[in-house]
Amino acid sequence: MGHVIHRVKSRALTWFSKPANIILLVLLIALIVFTMYPLFSLLTETFTIHAGREARAAKEAAGAFSLYHFRRLFATAENDYSLIQFYEPFLNTLLVSLASSLIAITFGGVVSFMVTRTNLKYTRFISAVFTFPYMMPSWTLALFWETFFKNVNIGLKTSNGILTSVFGIYMPQWFVYGAFPISLVLGLHYAPYAYILIGSMLKNMDANLEEAATMLKTGRSRMIRRITLPIVRPAIMSTFLLVFASSMSAYSVPVFLGSPVRYYMLSTKMISLMDSYPGQAYIIAAVMILMGIFILILNQRVTSSRRQFTTVTGKSWQIRMIDLGKANAPAAILLVILLMMVAIVPLLTFAMESLIIKAGDYSLGNMTLDFWIGTNLTQRLDQGDSTGILLNPKVWSALGYSLGLALTCALVAGTCGILVGYSVAKRRKSRLASLVNALSFFPYLIPSLAFGAIYLSMSVKIPWLHGFLLLALTGSVKYLPFASRTGVNAMLQLSGEIEEAAVITGVHWWKRMVRVIFPIQKTAFLSGYLIPLVSCMRELSLFVLLVPTSNTILTTMLMQYSEKGWAQFGNAINLLIIIVVLLINFIVGKLTGASIEKGVGG
Amino acid sequence: MPEIFLKNISKKFGRVTAVDHLNLQIMNNSFLTLLGPSGCGKTTILRMIAGLETPTEGVITIGNKVVFDSDQGINLPPDKRNVGFLFQNYALWPHMTVYQNIAFGLENLKWSRKEIKDKVNALLAMLRIEQLRNRYPSELSGGQQQRVAIARTLAPGPTVLFLDEPLSNLDAKLRMEMRTELKRLHRETDATFVYVTHDQQEAMTLSTMVCILDKGQLQQYAPPLSMYNSPANVFVAGFLGNPAINLIEGHLSENGMISFGEVKARFEAFDAVTLGEQDVTVGIRPEYIRIGKEGDLEARVCSTLPSGMETTVKLAVRGMPLTAVVFGDVDFPVDAKVKLSFHKTVVLFDTVSRKNIARGSLTLLHS
Repeated sequence: MGHVIHRVKSRALTWFSKPANIILLVLLIALIVFTMYPLFSLLTETFTIHAGREARAAKEAAGAFSLYHFRRLFATAENDYSLIQFYEPFLNTLLVSLASSLIAITFGGVVSFMVTRTNLKYTRFISAVFTFPYMMPSWTLALFWETFFKNVNIGLKTSNGILTSVFGIYMPQWFVYGAFPISLVLGLHYAPYAYILIGSMLKNMDANLEEAATMLKTGRSRMIRRITLPIVRPAIMSTFLLVFASSMSAYSVPVFLGSPVRYYMLSTKMISLMDSYPGQAYIIAAVMILMGIFILILNQRVTSSRRQFTTVTGKSWQIRMIDLGKANAPAAILLVILLMMVAIVPLLTFAMESLIIKAGDYSLGNMTLDFWIGTNLTQRLDQGDSTGILLNPKVWSALGYSLGLALTCALVAGTCGILVGYSVAKRRKSRLASLVNALSFFPYLIPSLAFGAIYLSMSVKIPWLHGFLLLALTGSVKYLPFASRTGVNAMLQLSGEIEEAAVITGVHWWKRMVRVIFPIQKTAFLSGYLIPLVSCMRELSLFVLLVPTSNTILTTMLMQYSEKGWAQFGNAINLLIIIVVLLINFIVGKLTGASIEKGVGG
Repeated sequence: MPEIFLKNISKKFGRVTAVDHLNLQIMNNSFLTLLGPSGCGKTTILRMIAGLETPTEGVITIGNKVVFDSDQGINLPPDKRNVGFLFQNYALWPHMTVYQNIAFGLENLKWSRKEIKDKVNALLAMLRIEQLRNRYPSELSGGQQQRVAIARTLAPGPTVLFLDEPLSNLDAKLRMEMRTELKRLHRETDATFVYVTHDQQEAMTLSTMVCILDKGQLQQYAPPLSMYNSPANVFVAGFLGNPAINLIEGHLSENGMISFGEVKARFEAFDAVTLGEQDVTVGIRPEYIRIGKEGDLEARVCSTLPSGMETTVKLAVRGMPLTAVVFGDVDFPVDAKVKLSFHKTVVLFDTVSRKNIARGSLTLLHS
C-alpha cells in the first residue's frame, strides 16, 4: 500500500516538475470557470422567472423555475408575437450574416488574390489601407452610409444626408435601410479578415502545386477553380466562420441601418428585450451561441482532414505573377478609389459632420469648431452638452477608462495567449493540451453580445464582480482566442530544441521564457497583444450590457449621443476613437514591427 | 526528335549569378544528370528548360523548336513546351485522390473518359499502386506519394521528363528501390530524362551522361564512369566517389619523377603527353591503394571503418593522411604498421590551374 502511494506521489511530482503541465492545469481550471460556468449560468437564466414585468406577465413568482420564456418566445401566435420577436429577426440574422460573409469573402478574397498573384499596381497602398476598416469601430461605415444617403422621405424622416443636400438625389428606402446596407456594411467591415486569412494562405502556398498544374497544361481559369481555390478553402471556411459569427452579433450596424425602419436582427431584439424580459433575451443569446457552434461543426466537417496535408517543403520559388496587361492600371485605380470610399471618405465625412451646425447644410457659414472646443453650447446652439468634446471632462475620463480597459485586456489576453501557446505546443499530443486549446477557442464562437449577456447573468450572482473588473474580465476572455491562436502558431514554429538547449545548461523556466523564447518570437507575440488592444478600444457589442453608465467608455458614450440625436458630438467622438486606434496601431507597429495582419494571419 | 540545346544561358538573381554562360547539348533518349553541391544552379537550369524560370540571356531549343531566345524575345510558356516535371516535394494536390491527381492532366488534354480511365489504370499498374487509387495524398507514405507523382507526370506521355531531386525526401532503402524503378521507367518510356541531384552515387548509378556544375559553371560533361576515371579537374575528382579521392601535393620533374617530400615515385602517362617540371596534385582513388604485408611504403593505421562489404582504412604515411578501401571486412588495430602500394590509374592535376593534365600509373621507389 505504502509502495503504491509512494509511486503515485513520485509520478505526480514528475508531472508537476514540468512548467508546461502546471500552466495547462491552471489554464484549464480558469477556462472552465470563465467559459463553462458563465454558459451554465446563462442557461439557468432561461428557465428562471425574473422579478418585475416578467414575473407579472408570466403570473409566476420571481425566481421560479419555468418554461414560460420558451413558450412565450417560440410559440405565441397572439399578435404574431413569436413571429415578430423571434422568427423574423432570426431569419433576418441568417440572411444578413450569410450575405455579409459572402461579400467579405468575395471582396477580400479577390483583392488578396490580385495582390499576391498578379502584377497589380499600387499593392503597397492597397495592402495598407485594406486593414483600415477592421481598426475602425464597426458602426463607422454604417454611420457614414446613413449620413450620406438618408433623406426626409425615408426612415426617421428627420433630415437630408450629403447626397440629397448636395446633389438632390433621393435614394429608395431599401438602399439606405434594411438587409441590403447592413449586409454590405458588415461585409466591407469584415473583408480585412478575408484579405488577411486568404492572403496569407495564398502567400504561403507551395508554388510547386500550381507549377505542377501548369506543366500539365492547365488553363488559367481551371487552375483557379480546381487547384488554387480548393487549397485555400480552409482559409475561406475560417473566414466564413469568423465573419458569420461577428455579423450575427453585430449590434451597432443594425441599430443605425435597421431600427429606423423597424428591421430587427437577433442582436437588436435581444437588447430591446433585456430590460423587461431578460429570460427571453437570454434564450436569444443561447440561440446565437448554438448558431456559432453549428457553424464551427460545419466548418470542421467541410475541411476534412483526409484532404489536408502539409507537403514536405520543397524549394521556395517566386510564384509566377499573372500579367494583368492593359487591365492593370484601370483595375488598380478602381480598387484604390473603392478603398478610399470605404476607408478614407468616412473619416472625412465624420470630420465634416462634426463641424456643421444645422444638419443638411454643408455651406461654410454653417460650420463651427464649437462641437470640438466650444463653450456654453446649450445656450448658444441649443443642443447637446454645454462644451465641445475636447473640453468635456466626461469625454476625457471615458477615453482614459477605454484606454485603461483596452490595455488591461490586451495584457491579460496577450499573456495568457502566450502561455496557452507555450504549453499547448510543449505537450502537443496530450489530451489536456487539446482540451485547453479547444476551450481557449470557445469564446470566439460566442457572439460578443451574447458573451456580454452571459457575463451579465454571472455578475448578478457575484456581488464583487462589477465595474472595471467585470469589463476587463469579459474583454480578456473574449479576446483570448485571437491571442492564443497567435501564441500557438508562434510556438509551433519554434522547434523544441531551442528551449531544450537552455534546459540542458540549467536555465530555469522564467529565464527561458523571458530571455530565449519571447525574444525569438517577439513580433508574433506582440501582435497577439495588439489585437485585443485595438479590438477593445473600438468594441461596443461586448460591453454595452455591462457598463455601469453610458458615459463609462467612449463607445457607449458615442452610442448614447447618437441616440439622443446629438450627431455632431457623436461624429466627433467617433473620429476621436478612430484616430486613437490608428495611432496605437501605428506606434506599436513602428516600435515593434507587430501588426494586426501578423496576429490574424499567423 | 527532342534533342535539347542550351546556348549561352545565364541567369542572374539580382547581383547573384546563378548560372553563367552555360552551353549544353542533351541527346535524345539520354538520362542526363545535373550534379553539384547545393546552390550550384542545377535546379535553376532545370526550371529554365521547363519554362518555370526565365533566363537572363541565351537560347534554348527543344527538338527543333526555339522555346527561349533572349534576343528575339521568344519565351514559350511551360505548358507549350511538351515536357513533364517531377518536383522534389511531389506537389500532389491534397484535395484530390490518387486517381484524380493522375487524371487531371489528361482531362486538360480533353481525352475521353474511357481513355483517361484506361491510361490511369495502366499507370497505376506500371507503378504498382493500384490499391491506392482512392486514397488522398495525406494517407500515403513518402514512397507512395513519389510513385503517384511519377504517374501523374508520365500520364500525358511527355518525351522529355525533368526530375528535381525526386529521391531526396525518401529514406535510404526506398531510395535504392526507386533508383531501380526510375531506370526501368527510362527504358520503358523511351523519354529523355533530365535529372537533378546532389547525390553523386545517384548520378553514377542512374545516368547515361553527367553534367557537373559548381557556382553556376559547367565543370565537366561526360558519361559517369569516364568522368569517374578521368575527372576534368580537382573539383570533379573530389565530388565523385565515396570515400573521396586522395589528393596529394607533389612536384613533378622533367624525367617523370614525382617527389612527395622524401617519398619519390615514377609516373608513366598512358597517353603521349609532354609534361614539364611543375607542381602537381596527384589524385588516387582509395580503391587503387593496396595494403597488406607486402608493399612499397610503410604506413600507420589511424582507423578502420568496416561497412560489411568493404572496409575503409584511414592511413598516415609520414604524417600525410591517405584513405584506402579494401573489399571485405578486415580489421587492423589502431597504430598497426602496414605496407601499401599504388596500382591502376592515378590522375595528375596542375596544382595552379587545378586541371587534369595526364592519367597514368604511379610506382613508388624504395628510398
